[in-house]
Amino acid sequence: MERIDAELVVLGAGPGGYAAAFYAADRGKKVVLIENDNRLGGVCLNRGCIPSKSLLHATHMISEAEASARRGIAFSKPEIDSARLRSWKDGIIHKLSQGLRMLAQRRGVEVMFGRGRFEGARSLRVETEEGQRFIDFENAIVATGSEPAIPKAWDLGSSRIMTSNEALEVDTIPRKLLVIGGGYIGMELGTVYAALGSKVTLVEALDTILTGTDPDLVRPVMYRAKKKFEEIRLKTKVKRLSTKDRHIEAITEKDGQEYAELFDRVLVAVGRRPNCDDLGLENTSVELDERGFIKVDERQRTADSNIYAIGDVAGGVMLAHKAAKEARIAIEALLGESAIFDAVIPAVVFTDPEVAWCGLTEREAGERGIDVTIATFPWGASGRALAVGRPDGVTKLVVEPQTERILGMGIAGHGAAELIGEGVILVEMGATARDLAESVHPHPTLSETLMECAEMFYGHATHAAPRPKKT
Amino acid sequence: MDIRLPNMGEGAEAGTVASILVKAGDIVEKDQALIELESEKAVISIPSTTAGRVSKIHVRKGDEIRVGAVVVSLDRGEGSSAGGEERTAEPGDEPPKRPTMQGLPKPDAPPSPPPELPEGVRPGASPTIRRMARDLGIDLRRIRGTARGGRIMVADLRDYVARLQQAAGSHATTAPPAAPTPLDTPAIDFSRWGPVRVERATALRKTIASRMADSWRTIPHVAQFGDADITALTALRKQYVPIYKEKNARLTLTPIVLKAVANALARHPVVNSSWDEASGDIVLKDYVHIGLAVDTDAGLIVPVIRDVDRKSVLELAREVEALTERTRRRQISMDETRGGTFTVSNQGGIGGAHFTPIVNKPEAAILGVGRGREMLRKVDGEVRTRIVLPLTVSHDHRIIDGANGVRFLVDLVEIIERFPAEELEIERTKG
Repeated sequence: MERIDAELVVLGAGPGGYAAAFYAADRGKKVVLIENDNRLGGVCLNRGCIPSKSLLHATHMISEAEASARRGIAFSKPEIDSARLRSWKDGIIHKLSQGLRMLAQRRGVEVMFGRGRFEGARSLRVETEEGQRFIDFENAIVATGSEPAIPKAWDLGSSRIMTSNEALEVDTIPRKLLVIGGGYIGMELGTVYAALGSKVTLVEALDTILTGTDPDLVRPVMYRAKKKFEEIRLKTKVKRLSTKDRHIEAITEKDGQEYAELFDRVLVAVGRRPNCDDLGLENTSVELDERGFIKVDERQRTADSNIYAIGDVAGGVMLAHKAAKEARIAIEALLGESAIFDAVIPAVVFTDPEVAWCGLTEREAGERGIDVTIATFPWGASGRALAVGRPDGVTKLVVEPQTERILGMGIAGHGAAELIGEGVILVEMGATARDLAESVHPHPTLSETLMECAEMFYGHATHAAPRPKKT
Repeated sequence: MDIRLPNMGEGAEAGTVASILVKAGDIVEKDQALIELESEKAVISIPSTTAGRVSKIHVRKGDEIRVGAVVVSLDRGEGSSAGGEERTAEPGDEPPKRPTMQGLPKPDAPPSPPPELPEGVRPGASPTIRRMARDLGIDLRRIRGTARGGRIMVADLRDYVARLQQAAGSHATTAPPAAPTPLDTPAIDFSRWGPVRVERATALRKTIASRMADSWRTIPHVAQFGDADITALTALRKQYVPIYKEKNARLTLTPIVLKAVANALARHPVVNSSWDEASGDIVLKDYVHIGLAVDTDAGLIVPVIRDVDRKSVLELAREVEALTERTRRRQISMDETRGGTFTVSNQGGIGGAHFTPIVNKPEAAILGVGRGREMLRKVDGEVRTRIVLPLTVSHDHRIIDGANGVRFLVDLVEIIERFPAEELEIERTKG
């Protein structure tokens, strides 16, 4: 079979890979995009962001309907048809995936389904259904993403032990579900299953859920999750999982005491590992770090100068929008432009309520010894938050006290993920607390909490009791 | 409440505390001067922004402080407005009193650098500005932002570039050819022609690079070549080596050359001088501190031996050995590398002959010593084997003309060739 020449090969068609392929094509490159799965979109579209947010939206209706009874509008108990829920969700994925196919086609990006493997620093072999294809490239971008990590001892080969991949399929609604890991994946999927009616027990080895998040932002999430979940057990280790009839027996240990419980299903959400195996990286000069991620410089270039890596496989926070930004940087770098990675990457957690932050966090400022002033605005003082029945939120600003520049923003509350975009702009633009305080925000909206939070920095927010600014 | 160093205007961002006008417990009025601050341009008194009792003074005389630093803490007394609210200036407030200037600011003072940001906090600038700066190869940390919170605007970047151009332009008129700036040098991707390895330059390497480039760019160098016949001196040295050894000292050529240089400098004060670039004066020094170029694993370091003219060869031998050793171990302080009036670079231990060393700015001259080697020379009408030491004096032509440079070299050669045995005596006591 004849060899294909490409200016750029992108390995992996997730939100990093397809963004890189599309941008490179828009900038005039001849691009081949290789995807191991049979659909474009990667984890984000097929087994991550999109299905989880679809399910969260669908199940949010259940808890809203419950809350509605208190407002004098009561609904009867919902009937849940999980097959229909699944096919609705799959429909969304299918539509978006087809959209990507069309966008690739319009740009002249050649899409190849199959497993790609480097044969050298300038060539790649792809195992497709139609047989092997060989590609000679000038540059390559590795965007193969990550997959859920599951410790060997827990991998019993039982379909009752799930990772996020299986949990998002919702093929059944277990009566009792154990979620191992209180990170964002465990919390988001725990929320979905709790709303669908599962009794969810979540165990976390550390002393808090959402480790790394500022404690004041975690608090509203913890408060609500405690009500919705059967139990949240912190500082708890899972000693053993074993199959017992049609159940999984989990032995957990907290404060020296062991618990043996039976669950219908177990969701393991203890982290994700990079997909670097079997890519033929040993045939290139690409280097991995001690945790198995591909080492890149600030322009996303690997130790092999023709090869770039972006997204989860290149380490750092595992977020689709970070991968997409890195895609742009890698393309600009290989076009010889001056792009470097210096962007503010917002973090969003779709728990209930949502948590989102960007820039410097209070916690990081403390760890790095950066002198900051924190201003917070409680949502209990927001008219809109009360009107939508969600006063359980907080908006906070991390401000550099000398210049009054906003270094970071954090929000916990309903719709926080939509609100944080403004924070990103403020941090990226180097805006001051006064810039924010003096920009009029529409009333009555949740976005007002940002403006009022900036007013809190000066000690005089309209809807909060006056108090001296914290230093 | 804390009284912080306010923005003093005129681009002054920092200064040294010249005097403290209050003490803890003092009752101060609003606008009463608290301290006097000496900045690059003037002495400024810093007024209190409010009335109160001084509870703590946070600065000491001589401290270097920046805008925003806490100067004193005040307890607000009963006399202050009710509520004790503390806030920054609001629109409509009486503008805070500007610090009063005493003395005239220097005209043409260069714009002061922007205030230092905490580690990990980058300058306030939009992504557009950051990209422009990257494209131009400009470090935003060097630019003062004029917008609120010190944010850097397009105009600030444009002003900075204009100043760089102006600076490059004025160089061109005073010191042709124009100084090349990093802006003129396009990035080269060496990996296009084969595999490369990139090492980050150490701080020392960067210092060497910038100092050498500065010396080379600003000093018009002249190099004078000479040879000293050290046959007699070598014999003399060999005779004294065991005597020095008894005193735990190594008598190498270096301390002898240092002594000879000090004696030659005594005859040629202009070689022991500096060109003051700021004032255009020639500064002649009554002391002789000689720098010694030391080759360390990390790169060139030049520690200075003080008062070479007043030390015996024995003292110099000991000091050269100890200082060289400490330098190689990177145990010398910055102070020990400053204040030199002349430098000696002896490469003879490695090899080589004549070479043209670069003057160690702000000194006016440097001596390069090569390896002594046997040569056939005509002495008293007969061809004999002699040991000849190659010497080069590089000097700053702005101060030392060629004739004066070569006179110094001729005298130095003569002093070395006829180095007196008394200078090596160790019983000799010095005053």
